[in-house]
Amino acid sequence: MNFTFRRKRISGILTIVPANERSFIEEMKNFNFPESRSLKLKEVMGYDKHRLVEPGVCVSDLAVFGLEHLFKNGLLHRDEIDALILVTQSPDHFMPPTSNVIQGRLGLKHDMFCMDIGQGCAGFVIGLMQAFLLLEQESIQKVVLINADVLSRKTSPKDRNSYPLVGDAASITVVERDAEDLVIHANLKMDGARNEALMIPAGGFRMPSTPATAVLEDVGDNNLRAKDHLRMDGSAVFNFVQVEVPPMIESLLAFAGVSMDAVDYFLCHQPNRFMLQKLADKMKVPYAKMPMNVVEHFGNSSGVTIPMAITFNLATRLKNGHLQVCLSGFGVGLAWSSMLMRLGKLSFCEMIDYP
Amino acid sequence: MNEFLTKIANILEENAVKETDELKAFAQWDSLAVLSVIAMLDANCGVNLRAADFEQVTTVGDLWNLVQSRKCS
Repeated sequence: MNFTFRRKRISGILTIVPANERSFIEEMKNFNFPESRSLKLKEVMGYDKHRLVEPGVCVSDLAVFGLEHLFKNGLLHRDEIDALILVTQSPDHFMPPTSNVIQGRLGLKHDMFCMDIGQGCAGFVIGLMQAFLLLEQESIQKVVLINADVLSRKTSPKDRNSYPLVGDAASITVVERDAEDLVIHANLKMDGARNEALMIPAGGFRMPSTPATAVLEDVGDNNLRAKDHLRMDGSAVFNFVQVEVPPMIESLLAFAGVSMDAVDYFLCHQPNRFMLQKLADKMKVPYAKMPMNVVEHFGNSSGVTIPMAITFNLATRLKNGHLQVCLSGFGVGLAWSSMLMRLGKLSFCEMIDYP
Repeated sequence: MNEFLTKIANILEENAVKETDELKAFAQWDSLAVLSVIAMLDANCGVNLRAADFEQVTTVGDLWNLVQSRKCS
């Protein structure tokens, strides 16, 4: 389905990455797999370094750290936040909402709309849509969108399908009204019939965690994983992206009446370099217009990867000028979504380490 | 067919492969090779296979036949 939004803009983006950096070369000793094949995997998929939280670090820790940084540097004021949206698949607790936990830890005002959204890889675009909708209300002047996940804590170190690419991170995006009347176009599709392609089977109410769900099982190809761990059907996800994403973006551009050449950057979710290269090939987009270097430096941090692609690659350009960008998120749900907008003149666009 | 055989050989890091060769017999045949083959077939033949499709495939020739049948349907 298609959406349009008017007079809305992103005014700043901050990403927060754990200082703890791990390398694929160190970790491949955990895999029950010949070293030459692991090196091949590294080369093809673009695995190298990734950032993982230390044991016990939660989503609210990364978010509070980032917001305190913005307050301290005068980039955002504590009392001007009217809504706080948190998009995560790894909340601190089942209840209460982690957005309320963040509000409470920071001592923010009570006149505030706090909301958790349980989305992942498509969660940056979905979170922006929700932020734009809230800004239709006069009482809401400024929305803080937080994307954050610490999924390494739910990933088996002996599963080379997932562990080498997982990364933990958070991003804080400030969204507000724009004085200029520009149109933002977006579209979104979901297919819950394929919900098992990316899932953590145990730990919820359907299959509570027990000693049995913590037992590592050989799931083929010498990968070991428990039911408490994240499970990704890599080839099904690859297939999904190749089949669904190019037509979605084509349809968005047609809806907006904008040609492919008029887009400065295609800022996609970052599953791995291989998948993004194949996506760019299929869409006939030059690699220079589609950043694909997030996984090799930081890992795939679910809904945080698009803000990370922005702060890592385009910070200077977006602080000084404007770019026409096409955002696109796809994954868990399954959900896939894209958005065409002018991005720029950001009051901040940076990346910091936690702690 | 020749181009197909060359592309499969490249993925498997072999000088050449024959129709009668069994995929599982190659040292390089693993989940990464499967993904590379899926990507190659998507780009070159417009055919989207899933990993599960490979369960019905034993030889290089079987894979060729599967791709041809998907092209027609």
